[in-house]
Amino acid sequence: MANPSTATPQKGMQHKFKGCSKIGDYEMMQKLGEGTFGEVHKARHKVTGSIYALKKILMHNEKDGFPITSLREIKLLKMLSHDNVLRLEEMAVERPKAEGRKRAILYMVTPYMDHDLSGLLDNPEVKFQEAQIKCYMLQLFKGLRYLHDNHILHRDMKAANLLINNRGRLQIADFGLARHYDEPVPQRGKGNGEARRDYTTLVVTRWYRPPELLLQLRKYTPAIDMWGAGCVFGEMFKRKPILAGQSDINQAQIIFELVGSPNDQNMPGWNELPGAESVRQFGSYPGSIAARFRELSPTGLSLIKDLMRLDWRKRINAIDAIDHPYFRENPKPMREEDIPHFADSHELDRRNARGQKQALPPAPQGGTVGGGPNGEWTGSGPPPNAWQNGDRRYAMQDRGPPGVDRGPRGGYDRRQPQYDHRGPPPPPPGERGPTWGNAAGARNANLPPRPNDGPTPHTNAPRYGGDGGDRRRGAGGPPPGDVYIPSYTEGPRRSREPDDRQRRGSRDSGNSREGHHEDRPDRNRAYRDRDRERPGESRNFGRDRRDGRTRSRSPERRDRNRDTRSDDIYRRR
Amino acid sequence: MQPSPLANPLATVAHLETTGSLLDGIPSDLEDSVRFAGARLTQAAGVLLRLPQEVIAQAIVVFMRFWVGPDGGSLVEFGAEQVSAASLYLTTKLSAYPKSPRSIVNVYAYLSSFASTFIEPSELQVKKAEAYYVSEGTFERRRVALFSTEQRILRTLGFNVQVNLPYTLCITYLQALDVVTHPRASELAKRAIAHLNTALLGPQMLYLTHQPPQLATAAIYLAAKEVGIKLPEVEWWEVFDTDREELGFLCVGMLSLEGFAQKEKERWEGRRVPMNVEEVEKEVKRRGEE
Repeated sequence: MANPSTATPQKGMQHKFKGCSKIGDYEMMQKLGEGTFGEVHKARHKVTGSIYALKKILMHNEKDGFPITSLREIKLLKMLSHDNVLRLEEMAVERPKAEGRKRAILYMVTPYMDHDLSGLLDNPEVKFQEAQIKCYMLQLFKGLRYLHDNHILHRDMKAANLLINNRGRLQIADFGLARHYDEPVPQRGKGNGEARRDYTTLVVTRWYRPPELLLQLRKYTPAIDMWGAGCVFGEMFKRKPILAGQSDINQAQIIFELVGSPNDQNMPGWNELPGAESVRQFGSYPGSIAARFRELSPTGLSLIKDLMRLDWRKRINAIDAIDHPYFRENPKPMREEDIPHFADSHELDRRNARGQKQALPPAPQGGTVGGGPNGEWTGSGPPPNAWQNGDRRYAMQDRGPPGVDRGPRGGYDRRQPQYDHRGPPPPPPGERGPTWGNAAGARNANLPPRPNDGPTPHTNAPRYGGDGGDRRRGAGGPPPGDVYIPSYTEGPRRSREPDDRQRRGSRDSGNSREGHHEDRPDRNRAYRDRDRERPGESRNFGRDRRDGRTRSRSPERRDRNRDTRSDDIYRRR
Repeated sequence: MQPSPLANPLATVAHLETTGSLLDGIPSDLEDSVRFAGARLTQAAGVLLRLPQEVIAQAIVVFMRFWVGPDGGSLVEFGAEQVSAASLYLTTKLSAYPKSPRSIVNVYAYLSSFASTFIEPSELQVKKAEAYYVSEGTFERRRVALFSTEQRILRTLGFNVQVNLPYTLCITYLQALDVVTHPRASELAKRAIAHLNTALLGPQMLYLTHQPPQLATAAIYLAAKEVGIKLPEVEWWEVFDTDREELGFLCVGMLSLEGFAQKEKERWEGRRVPMNVEEVEKEVKRRGEE
């Protein structure tokens, strides 16, 4: 809940709820890729002509109805509005056409972005200049500052989730793992603070996972996103992920090789973390970051060191990162509009061109698992009965504390491990790909649902007392904890009034001098038009509705429908 | 984030003028009855599921949002019970208190096993388990219906499932008005919260037309009058973004509910308000014959 005493509603903020628009409003152009929970298509809005990306929401696991991850992502995105955060324009619906299919397909409509950073870096023709890297990093920090300032942890920071368009704009995407952060937000000059409550550690793609998560710190902070930003920063110079661990334990090891072994000075409290046991045997590394990033100036080196500080309390926060001297020294950050254009690079295209699958970075396992008393099973080897497809409790695997080797992948993941020039590990099941793109096609058939929404242990008692004994997700499992992206109360995410939008849009991005203004008038016009049309249409609504839906008034007909429906169930089971 | 984190999406005039049910020829007083019964059903189910009132209130608002407007759900197509169940399921899923389809189906089966919509509290204790047993096949069917209704709600609402509530605001305002030290402050607060709870159920759908600060202000105003606690002589409601006219409107709306509820109870004495498509159809037919 937002603090009621500080916020008051503004006049003129009268929003209305309107239903989803129809998929017929869009003209599908091409398939861009396949994300974790659906295909992504490029599409043109028939009225405005604007280009969007439409992400289809797949119903992998209908056990729980509408996928909670999508629902949470949508709810969150509807509340966000920032130049460096991918905007959810609206939801579009494809009504069932045939008799047999009864459920509609839903699409998330977001602006079309030409590239994702991971794809861009993978493209040998694209060369980043340092000034350009600075421009992207600044935008990333601005996006992160906005998210953290609004009590949101992204929890899946990685190059593949950073989208870039040909106007030099960078946007943070994929909020499938994001959640509300219940603690005070980072303050200037004060690092990322400390958390008081527990969160699930089953987040962040392994290569971007910070050391405190690998050591199972549950009271983590926005610092986890800042570590990921550091990895991305390095990746932009190296053109490949800088910390591509083969397992969680290996990930911890290569982190310490890079930044030095943990001790009570550089990472106070590390010894008490649950995962500390297994990293003690690593031996002592002095750290090799300066040698590894020779291409960086001393200030650049200092920034990456600040971002990749082992001590999560002292790791630089997004506010301070924006003010880092690195961005004031020459070469100065490029302006967005000066960044050169590149040919579109989407994972799918490049994968096709290369004729092989790109190996995926290992995915975050998501926000949840049931199982052990603390929500993660801690024994070696997979838990008993672990691999029931569709059971999200166990739909993750390469997980658990460092030091435990995981053994072979689950039986339903029949892919052959694929190695390519990026030389990463085969992705564990339960992973998440980048927002769109990446080699998801082959795995979709067997893709387990993302395991980030079951109950998660937390130490704080629920605010309202017991959970009513509703523990469907695992007998004796922990009470739901992390499931909750609480209602930090908000209205609809934006006003449709142009002036209002403008104000918010420009607040945060000094670099954004163009770009968005171009398409905004379009959008505003579209909304206005739509609103204007409404009264005139109303006379026809009855008829339209009847055309659009099947309404059977006769009882026999309805009964027949019901029969087919129940047949359906039994077929599926 | 958007400028005001406290604003709800509101129903437009067009939303309120006509509803999907109206377009399908459902009399509007019948729709009012069904919505009222549906909101009460949601509340009762929420209590049985031991949900916090905040979650229940959000579910009721989602339930109410579903029906309004020409594009809203129609009673010809959806039963209020099914929409109530799906609203509650959807809302709990997004809350810290997710409930399984099994729990939802069971609770609704229990509540629909009563012969009358207006149940005497004493009746609640004397139920026989056989009356609300859900067989495996029935459960499967209802579960599937729950999910498809959930999706229809999401689509109809354009995923605007976020609901902001006036409860915490109400307490904050009471503190701001400096009445929490009054000896009967808790009576006042209880009364104000009671008004907020009641307003959820009414046919005026005040939660769809007014923002939380206004609802909280009106509830406090009414409660203070009833409990007899003096509030500042000045137009204090202005401070909470409520003008006199809105305040008056809301007070009338909140006060009218008691009479409405009484009338509903008499009207449906010993009968069930039609809570599914077939029952609604029968009721409309019955009225036609009368």
